[in-house]
Amino acid sequence: MSERGFLPGVFKGLGITMKTMARPAVTHEYPDARPDLPPRSRGVIALVEENCTSCMLCARECPDWCIYIEGHKETIPATTPGGRERQRNVLDRFAIDYALCMYCGICVEVCPFDALYWSPQFEYAEFDIQDLLHEKERLGQWVQTVPVPPALDERAPDAAEVVSANKPPRVPRPAAAAGDATGAVSAAGEAPVRRERPAGGDRPARAERPAPEAAAGAPTDATTDAATPATRDAEPAAPPEPPEPAVPAEPPVAPEEETS
Amino acid sequence: MTALDVALVGFGLLALAGALLAVTTRHIVHAALWLVVALGSLAGVYLVLGAEIVALVQLLVYVGAIVVLVLFALMVTRSPIGPSRDHATSPAHRGVAAVIAAGLVALLLAVLLPIAGSGAVTRQVTSNRALGADLFGTWAWPFELLSLLLLASLVAALAIARSRAVTGKEDA
Amino acid sequence: MGAAMSVWEVVLRSVAVLAAFLVLPLLVGFMEHKVMAHMQARLGPMYAGGFHGWAQLIADAAKFVQKDDLLPTAADKGVFRLAPSLALIPYLVALAVVPLSPSIVGADAPASAVVVLAATAVGVLGGLMAGWASANKYSLLGGLRSAAQLIAYELPMVLAVASVALAAGTLSLTGIATEWRPWWLLWQLPAAFVFLAGGCAEIQRPPFDMPLADSEIVFGPYTEYSGLRFALFLLAEYAGIVLMSLLMSVMFLGAWHGPWSGPLGWLWTILKAVPIAFLFLWFRNSWPRLREDQLQRFAWLVLVPLALVQLLITAVGVVMMR
Ligand code: SF4
Ligand code: SF4
Repeated sequence: MSERGFLPGVFKGLGITMKTMARPAVTHEYPDARPDLPPRSRGVIALVEENCTSCMLCARECPDWCIYIEGHKETIPATTPGGRERQRNVLDRFAIDYALCMYCGICVEVCPFDALYWSPQFEYAEFDIQDLLHEKERLGQWVQTVPVPPALDERAPDAAEVVSANKPPRVPRPAAAAGDATGAVSAAGEAPVRRERPAGGDRPARAERPAPEAAAGAPTDATTDAATPATRDAEPAAPPEPPEPAVPAEPPVAPEEETS
Repeated sequence: MTALDVALVGFGLLALAGALLAVTTRHIVHAALWLVVALGSLAGVYLVLGAEIVALVQLLVYVGAIVVLVLFALMVTRSPIGPSRDHATSPAHRGVAAVIAAGLVALLLAVLLPIAGSGAVTRQVTSNRALGADLFGTWAWPFELLSLLLLASLVAALAIARSRAVTGKEDA
Repeated sequence: MGAAMSVWEVVLRSVAVLAAFLVLPLLVGFMEHKVMAHMQARLGPMYAGGFHGWAQLIADAAKFVQKDDLLPTAADKGVFRLAPSLALIPYLVALAVVPLSPSIVGADAPASAVVVLAATAVGVLGGLMAGWASANKYSLLGGLRSAAQLIAYELPMVLAVASVALAAGTLSLTGIATEWRPWWLLWQLPAAFVFLAGGCAEIQRPPFDMPLADSEIVFGPYTEYSGLRFALFLLAEYAGIVLMSLLMSVMFLGAWHGPWSGPLGWLWTILKAVPIAFLFLWFRNSWPRLREDQLQRFAWLVLVPLALVQLLITAVGVVMMR
């Protein structure tokens, strides 16, 4: 600090503290008032047991080795006479030790089957550290607290599930292919394909999206429904879906649009 | 025996005990702390005799400044907790010291006993105003002389400190 | 004076002083909790006692009582045990002679201004003893620093008090406050500044808290203390704030001078002391700690010359008014 800047600095310090004192405090009185957590807070990890295939990816990627998975294989007898028997993984134990977990989120990221979700719920402190080991029943209960995923961007491509559900049935292959081709051609021919989509923004798939959100937004209703938010998203979207040819053609369209 | 007598004798004995312990203890810092007791009791003696301002200045200057300086110096040097034999004096040394101390006591007693009164303690409260008038009137010259002495030692200390600072610049 | 008082009066006065000594530091301590919190955009204690955590310090005291009274093996046990009381009791003595109004004073001494100075000087001895007896390097460093600080700041403080005493022509605090006139606010302003800074250093409050410096030498002389003995040190710190604020109020702000000063004089004295106590808290929250060399430089190159100049101004004023 220069000699000249000393006195003003002294008074500036006093001014800052006085100003802060005049303003209301920022403290959240937590046990009395709920904290206002951001939607992607990492509170606890929820397990959707139905989605888990016991693939062990999460357990192997966990830097703390705090996920414990045990399972066995079951043989499913052939459904058709003379058919092949199938094997299926059955999850016996899935546990996360929150005394070790460092909330890195790697397990949630790597799970290829959307079986793990972040929940902002954080009030699971225990008096005994061993009680921080949550077995799969407890992990499953956290699913109710998982928030609805945020809505997609207005112009984002549809989720993979929606796209696949929207695909026309396979059987009448040639006809569908022709429809596809014409759709693609017409889309490529007119520049505003993209612009067409906001105009047709009330396509059923998009209009449908808020509905499952509302269902999941009230977790108490969803207690019996163990389905993951993602599958919930996809399922109601499927039935009223008319075939929409433009969608599968979308990826090739985008670069063209950029050049024009 | 009045209450004043008792108080005077009590403070006197306390001062004596503190002084004796200060010179005999083997704990260096304890010696400084016993000095506090001795000086404080002396302040008590002044208080009993009615010299309030002298007692307070005794506390302020001797306990508040001199002893603090002594403690400061002791802390800067290595003063161990517990008895230390490093600074023990030889018996001959002690004998000489005792003789000199006894001589001093005898001298003081010889001077002071004849002028001591009947024995009963009387409390003569001197007002601060009178004390000030005396100090800066009657005793102005000794007072100024003392301040000159202090000034001289201050300048000397400064000179020593500065010469050190100049020569010590290279290794600093 | 002593003979004129009945035994009952002595007891009553002692109890009153003791009560003030125990209650006022708690009030200042709670004020510090709250002021500090709000200056940091926090709320501070909110639970103990229900309403805005008013009982927080009582709860703290209950906690201190339950704590283990630790005694380091290598410590000098007697000195270690004695130090907290030696740090606390001088403030009690000093508080007893501070008048709240011409009639409300624990013990009216003819040289009460010197009594408080002597008492605070002796009080620092407690910190020194604690620092040395703890057998801990941090404590020793803290003790050293408090000794150096005491020596540096004692002088300007004595000079500042001498200035008002000279102006009032008396060494008694009651006398000084009685003689006080509003224009002294200007006349004695440098002395007030010196006293405020010196007082802040004397009770080792930030920005002059080099001896404690919790972020570098843990807590200086108090590092090894716990439980009640530590609480005594804390009490001494807040009693120091109370004492310094009251002294500022009595010596520089005119104590009980104000409307209805007859019946409400004591209230005026306290009301004037509150902003000073707030200043101590405000300084603590606003300023960083001074380094040891800055501390000494400030004392010897700013405060002492300023106090000497003030003494000169006062002397000229007194002679001219004769
Ligand atoms: S969040 Fe990280 S540390 Fe915790 S269980 Fe998942 S991978 Fe392991
Ligand atoms: S990665 Fe997902 S599917 Fe695989 S074991 Fe973990 S939770 Fe189950």
